[in-house]
Amino acid sequence: MISPLVQHLPKLWELMHHYGMTTLELNPIRMRPGKDGRLTPVACDFKCGFDRDDPRVARLGLPQHLFAADLSEFEQEVNQLRTHQGQSDVFVVNEFGTILAPTFGGGANSLVTEVLGEAAIISSDFGGNPPYEKMKSVAAICYRHFLAQTNVLFIIGGKSNNTDIHETFRGMGDALREHFAKHGPVPLYVVVGRGGPNLVRGMGNLADTLDSLGVPYRFFGFDSAISEVVNYAKRIDEWMRTGGREQIARSMNIAA
Amino acid sequence: MRQKAISGLPYFLGVDRLNAVASPEDRVCVLNILGGESRTVTPVSHAFSGGNVVFGTSPGRSGQVLKTPAGSIPVFNTVLEGIRAGHGFNTGVVYLPPSGVRDGVAELIRVNPELKKIVIITEKIAVHDAREIRAMAQANGIDIIGGNCLGVADSWNKVRIGGALGGDHPEESLVKGSVAVFSNSGGFTTTIAQYLTTAGWGTTTLISSGKDVYIQYAARDFALAFAKDDRSKAGVLYVEPGGYYEKDIDWQKPVVACVVGRWKAKLTRAVGHAGAMAGSGDSAEDKERWFMEAFDVDGIYTSETPHVSAKGALVTNIADIPAALTAVMALNDIQPDFAPRGSLSLKPWIANDQGLQLPPDLAQPVVTAPAPYDAQIAALSDQIGAVIARQSMKDTSGASQMDPKTQVTSVHGHRVLDLALQPLEAMFALPLVHELADAHDRAMLDVAVAAEVNLIGDPILLAADAARDAGNSPNTVMSVAAAITGPKRVERALACARALIALFAQSGLRDGRDESFDLSKIEVDDQTRALFLATPDEADDPRPEAMLAAIEARGGKSVFLRFLLGFGERLSRDAILAAITTTIAWGPLARKRISRLTAETLPWYMRLYGVMVGATIPGRHHQPGSLWGIPREERFSRWTMADICCLAMTGKKPDPTEALYVQILIGLLISNGPGSITAQGAKGAVSADGPQTPDRVQINKAMAGFLTHSGYSHGGNGFEGMAFLLDQFRDKGLKDPTDPNHGLDLTGMARDFALAYKRDKATAKELGTEVRALPGVHHPIFKGKPENFDPRERFIAQFMEERGEYNIFHHFYRELVRQLYDVGASRYVFCVNVDAIIAALLLAVLWKDYQAGRMTDANLETAAFTIFLFGRMIGAAAEIDDHLNRGRNMDTRTPASGCKHVV
Repeated sequence: MISPLVQHLPKLWELMHHYGMTTLELNPIRMRPGKDGRLTPVACDFKCGFDRDDPRVARLGLPQHLFAADLSEFEQEVNQLRTHQGQSDVFVVNEFGTILAPTFGGGANSLVTEVLGEAAIISSDFGGNPPYEKMKSVAAICYRHFLAQTNVLFIIGGKSNNTDIHETFRGMGDALREHFAKHGPVPLYVVVGRGGPNLVRGMGNLADTLDSLGVPYRFFGFDSAISEVVNYAKRIDEWMRTGGREQIARSMNIAA
Repeated sequence: MRQKAISGLPYFLGVDRLNAVASPEDRVCVLNILGGESRTVTPVSHAFSGGNVVFGTSPGRSGQVLKTPAGSIPVFNTVLEGIRAGHGFNTGVVYLPPSGVRDGVAELIRVNPELKKIVIITEKIAVHDAREIRAMAQANGIDIIGGNCLGVADSWNKVRIGGALGGDHPEESLVKGSVAVFSNSGGFTTTIAQYLTTAGWGTTTLISSGKDVYIQYAARDFALAFAKDDRSKAGVLYVEPGGYYEKDIDWQKPVVACVVGRWKAKLTRAVGHAGAMAGSGDSAEDKERWFMEAFDVDGIYTSETPHVSAKGALVTNIADIPAALTAVMALNDIQPDFAPRGSLSLKPWIANDQGLQLPPDLAQPVVTAPAPYDAQIAALSDQIGAVIARQSMKDTSGASQMDPKTQVTSVHGHRVLDLALQPLEAMFALPLVHELADAHDRAMLDVAVAAEVNLIGDPILLAADAARDAGNSPNTVMSVAAAITGPKRVERALACARALIALFAQSGLRDGRDESFDLSKIEVDDQTRALFLATPDEADDPRPEAMLAAIEARGGKSVFLRFLLGFGERLSRDAILAAITTTIAWGPLARKRISRLTAETLPWYMRLYGVMVGATIPGRHHQPGSLWGIPREERFSRWTMADICCLAMTGKKPDPTEALYVQILIGLLISNGPGSITAQGAKGAVSADGPQTPDRVQINKAMAGFLTHSGYSHGGNGFEGMAFLLDQFRDKGLKDPTDPNHGLDLTGMARDFALAYKRDKATAKELGTEVRALPGVHHPIFKGKPENFDPRERFIAQFMEERGEYNIFHHFYRELVRQLYDVGASRYVFCVNVDAIIAALLLAVLWKDYQAGRMTDANLETAAFTIFLFGRMIGAAAEIDDHLNRGRNMDTRTPASGCKHVV
């Protein structure tokens, strides 16, 4: 004799497997007796989690705003740029943080977010070799939302697999130049830790941009331990919180 | 089943030893081989492995090849096509987009009976598809590694399959040794391999497992192959939260595990690693516990708390991996594979603190990067000066910007209001070096410009006088002088500047005034040296000696001058001018605030400034050795630019207060942003020459562009305000406009005028005409409130108040706006605008001469226009230099579609 609940399992599996779910929870389940003594299982509550990467989720025709609920405005903007050409994953860790850290690579993302803790504004992964325009757009969005409060702009990743350092640094640098032109300059310190194709070309390009903007910086290559670079960025942030920011503002001729 | 399964497991697993993961016998087929990522990564993998990719697929591109340093790889439409062409393989690599991965895997399995394993690089595969991939692979006995992984590599076999493990130079990081690496993070697989070499450990097999929800080849699978691999004496794992893969594993050999991701407990969505989100029981802390139990240790290994056992150690920071491994292996009596290579300490490659003083532990000095990066970085600094990208500069400026709320313009970040309070020389250099000159640089600038002002014997004088006699306005007269100061007249000075910059570019000089700089390392050939020397024709020109004496008198210091004087021969004045301008430009150039082009063209601007000021002085006052009666030595050694500008307008040296007001006036007039007609004229002239070929841009012609685009309405209207004031004060017996005890009833005067104005307004209204606008009051932006203020006028007024300075004309204006309101001639109290204060200040400077009959109305008008030109030439220089550096040829043109026609 097969329990009526078990009879439903294949259908539940179909729902889970073919509609882009990763988890499905029915809790509680009550058995309702019918006329002829048969029991019908009834789900009194239904919860599920969706796989963002599965287009099958769209089969259910759920309105977009349901998913927007736990995304901040910033996250939504960046998500719109989400294509398979580069990750652009972001998550706001602390909206009052002071280190803006565009991070490259899932592993780097883990480490950096862990070590920066509450000082970090976002947790991000912009790796996957995004093209110049996309990198610039993502950077512009980040700056627009968070640059005013930022002490340290921290560009960090390991030795990139195929992300072109020149293209991505050019995108971030040009976006910064345009942001300054539009919104005025911000007292910043830029710390970079990176490796990968066209590394020195990218560093040179970014250095030129920062020099022309009067922004101080220190760049590390892949031969410095990434965790040490993260600690360095934190120490710069602490220095800025205790007077360094004012010094930079004076040097950059920014009114208090 | 394609392979024999390892017995005793509840699922299929084929790979039973690590050296079979990436073996030299493996033959590889890459799906979507011509895609963006594969195109750059596959050639490196293929070459590193000695050529293990037999073919790839890319629909529609059959017949093409992927070039690699180890030969070309053929491309086919489908896997079957490649097999039929005779290319057998046992390993698939998938670079397809997420939606195509499952079908790609199915194709590989379906058509290739020899398939043993597949590496899936693609990220963001749907969990649904990952399930189906596993089902197919399990049913057919195929091993899958990935998805979202960076492939596998073997340092002993020198093989790399799939992704970019080791980056674009895998031989740098994949060093033969005794450690097997298994990592959830692709990038960190390489990083860990590098870190291990700093403790003297090399690697055997490296596997990037990916961190999707389903890890197809997981820690337990790795543990089996690792245990059977004789080459590997130890293992290193990098693990993130999510899944039970690492629980209850019997490692059999020493292992260091790095678990990262405690913070992910806060996540509600995955970031980067889709699977690195825990439910309950598989968080980072849970995994830490699993490993600590497996290794029998009480805590996490750090350098302060080295919890370690012979079985292994747990770390949470990848930088601790090397030391932890060495400690574990020491307990097993196993030494590192080789001597440590490099270290993980902080090694800044490139830095610039922009002159700031950071604490010593933060101001870490730059070190030489490892080869080949060191040579590349050195090449970067061969290029001196800022590098600026070009764009259309129509109605766009990088030099000036007007704040729409306050109407105050800034030039290179400095408000003109603040500039007005700076000595004139500081303002003259600003547009070009983007920084305010300090006292020392200003002294040098005074000499540089002073040497150009006296035009005796120069055809410019004849031309300027002719233009003046023809009834032209002052700007037209000045433009004649600018037009003549063409390329040939500055050729040698520019060549000298270029030569100096080239000589010192690589020298490490940071400050143009460095007295201790060792000049012996600067080598100059005879041809270059000759550039700087005075020719026999110049034997009678007294200016080189006068300039040098003046510089000495003013305490000027210049490395470049010291260098040139070291030749022991007579220098030309072009050489001295170039030395001065290069001295002032050197700091900003070395700090990349200005471009090399700007530094090289500076002498042209200085010559133009001098010539243009000189041209405003009528020809008869230019005599050998004296200008308007003032001897050369005095002007060169003691006069400032403000003094010279005053001389040009009035024929005499001003007292300090007059000089201050001239300085303020000039400062206020420097710029009104790129939209003003003068700026448009200058920019258009640059654009028409073509800034993309900077050698052809005629900077003097661009100055003429600014000059011709000023006129009686724009720039020449300063006299209107003065004329108005003259009407009010002409017969009032005013002797000293700066004396507060003037005895005049300003309120009464203002009231009388206001009443008369009110009557005129009423009459005009009846007749249907318009009454004239009053100069100096009201403004289209600063209006509407009960009492209005022009922030620029307020700024100057406050400055004067703080100094206890009085100006009767300004006082009158303040009374006037009050009275206009009181009598009902205006609806609210107008602001006193900046034109009023300009008129008031200038008239006060010129009043005594006017009363004494030494200046006529026409002279006053000329003076008002001239002071505008002196100020605006600075703004024009800024726009010219800016457009020259940033603009594109013909970019100021308006297309026909932007133009209109009227009949």
